[in-house]
Amino acid sequence: MDIFHDNAMLAGVRQMLGAFAKQYIRPVAMKHDREESMPWALMKQAQAFGMTQTAVVDGRKALTGKDDEEGANKPKSQSRLGVVGSEELAYGCAGVCLAIGGSGLAASPVARMGTEEQKQEFRRLLKGDDEHGHIKVAAMALSEPSTGSDISGLSTTARPDGDHFVINGHKQWITNGQSAAAYVVWAQTDPSAGRAGVRGFLVARGTPGLIPGRKEHKLGIRASETAQVHFEDCRVHKDMMLGIGASSEGLGDTKKMLDSTRPMVGAQAVGIARAAFDYLVERVQGGTIHGTALKQHQHVAFELAEMEMEIQAARALVHKSAWMADHGQDNVRMASIAKAYGAKVAQDVTARALTLLGEEALEPDHPVEKWYRDAKIYDIFEGTGQIQRRIIARSILGVNAT
Amino acid sequence: MDFALDDDQALIVQTVRRFVDKDLRAWAGDADRAAEAPGKLATVAGDLGFYLDAVPEAAGGLLDGAYGHVTRALRGLELGRGCSAMAALLECNVEPALAVARWGSDAAKAELFASLAAGGLATTGRDSRGALTLSADGDGVRVTGKVGPLPALGRASHVLLCATLDGAPVALLVATAGQRVAAQAPSAWRAAAWGTLTLEHALVPASHVVARGADAVALIGAWYRASLAARAAGVAVAAMEHARHYASERVQFGQPIGRFESLIGLRDDALTAATAARLMALHAAWLCDRATDGASIAAAADAASRARVVAGDAVRQATVDAVQIYGGYGFVNDYPVEKLMRDARPYEQLFGDERFDRVLADPDRAGGI
Repeated sequence: MDIFHDNAMLAGVRQMLGAFAKQYIRPVAMKHDREESMPWALMKQAQAFGMTQTAVVDGRKALTGKDDEEGANKPKSQSRLGVVGSEELAYGCAGVCLAIGGSGLAASPVARMGTEEQKQEFRRLLKGDDEHGHIKVAAMALSEPSTGSDISGLSTTARPDGDHFVINGHKQWITNGQSAAAYVVWAQTDPSAGRAGVRGFLVARGTPGLIPGRKEHKLGIRASETAQVHFEDCRVHKDMMLGIGASSEGLGDTKKMLDSTRPMVGAQAVGIARAAFDYLVERVQGGTIHGTALKQHQHVAFELAEMEMEIQAARALVHKSAWMADHGQDNVRMASIAKAYGAKVAQDVTARALTLLGEEALEPDHPVEKWYRDAKIYDIFEGTGQIQRRIIARSILGVNAT
Repeated sequence: MDFALDDDQALIVQTVRRFVDKDLRAWAGDADRAAEAPGKLATVAGDLGFYLDAVPEAAGGLLDGAYGHVTRALRGLELGRGCSAMAALLECNVEPALAVARWGSDAAKAELFASLAAGGLATTGRDSRGALTLSADGDGVRVTGKVGPLPALGRASHVLLCATLDGAPVALLVATAGQRVAAQAPSAWRAAAWGTLTLEHALVPASHVVARGADAVALIGAWYRASLAARAAGVAVAAMEHARHYASERVQFGQPIGRFESLIGLRDDALTAATAARLMALHAAWLCDRATDGASIAAAADAASRARVVAGDAVRQATVDAVQIYGGYGFVNDYPVEKLMRDARPYEQLFGDERFDRVLADPDRAGGI
């Protein structure tokens, strides 16, 4: 079963974004890592390649120029497209990949549950440039200082008040949290309803009471902005609540959203691992140690073999989980497997690569050292490795183990 | 066989631990962000006897009698709990001072000890992959190539350089004055005054060829690795101290996360590995204290090499897992563990990484299993 490579459209996306990663992302990746700055110029360039900040709302046509296939072949989601593109961009730089694609986290619930009016509003908010000449981005605000792995403990509230909701709370680790033009914030509308009372709201930058907070200084993915966001009596019209009526499953909406992004997150981890692997292959091909060719040493060659096994296995899992989503199959277990295994492989391959490179990897701005730092977040965000294992184990045993 | 500390060792451990808990940990974050150790480090650490502990008393130092590597390892375990970068600065003079005192000429001793006594630093490096070009020039040696990055090299007056001349190991004392030194701040041990030294046909005079032959270089490596292993074990312990504290306070799913079995498992594995590394480092140091001839030097070198392998693995996994236990907070600079993860790498990489060292470069081991 070659689920990807016989597909011309996916092959085209892989080729295009792979070239974009090498020609545009790699040359600036280290600078943005060092400076901890968003790659605004590159994000604008990416738009010209179809990677718009509203692509998730606009659908496949925005990226490929083609409508979805109709009829029985019409995919149920764009998961395969997502994993192919994500792997290539993260091959260039995971931080840049997240800067380019971070708006998709907010766009995903709008696309999934938003009304036409809300989709239009999302597009309107992200249209044009801001006062700095930067393209406009969106932020999805779910995590809170006390609510990381256990999202059922959300403490941000949205109190109904006439035609509005009044939002209060603090959000933590929010991608694009400081710069976003549009926010999708998750809040509890009815504490007595528990999980069913949680809703997402589309909130425009500049809305009184929406206060972008401090930017975090991070170990990796430093080209992607992560910040706190505060809501203090922030009034949002009820028309901007996602999942109006029966279409919302409350907190379950966020879980579905996370399920749908996990294959892409796993694919990014594969991209990082591949970057380190390719770097090492090139280094080993021409390298010597005390006058002997590196590639003639089993100790080196077998390490590369080990890495290649891991990368191929991780990619196959990512592809399978995406294929299942596109075919309307329940992929919750497989998406968690793909995400958790991808994170493990990215950490393992970059660590092995550093060990093989030895002292030369101590040079400042060494790309493999950067990839090692970047890889770690893949075991933390979008559900930690422990949360993925919890999901997988529950799907096997039917209970939550502690 | 006795695992107990003597009175002097117990006092040193207690003193260094207090210094680590009170000062080093408090300074570590700012030093990391500024990529520079605070000025008060030299004063406070100097008062505690660092920098000159391996310089003979007669030459203005503090060493009276034989140097104690076990005591140094015990100190390293504590320093690693504090800050890897500052620990590297506090330990960097030891190998150059010991090597020059043991094998060096009067001229080399006079030059190095005068510099160290005046507050200078020295560091140690090894051309582990044969990237330098060495050639004999009379009784001296000419060197071409780049040395480092090495901790302390950005500020050091001398480098004790272990390399190969015509197939035989040599240890050279290279003065950095007049040479091209570039200061660096990599992501690990950022405050350790890293630097590179680029030599172009630089002459190391006969007086500064400290030692020739496998024994001397093996012993220098044993000292260096035993110390690295001890500090690495300390970092692993610190990572879990932080993680344990955080996990006892962080509540998710209705209980402190430290009660979830998967995290208890991470902590126990880390502490098991750190305990193994600690014992191996101490054993290697004990052998260093007894290394007098070829066979005993080889035993010390072997033990130190193995200690560093275990300690390198232990510190890498413990710091990665500490970040994991902290979750999203572990990834940001407000908390101590992301620095520990960055700082773990040089323990595996300095003085020739163990993989190449053991499997490829050592003629005995390359001879077969």
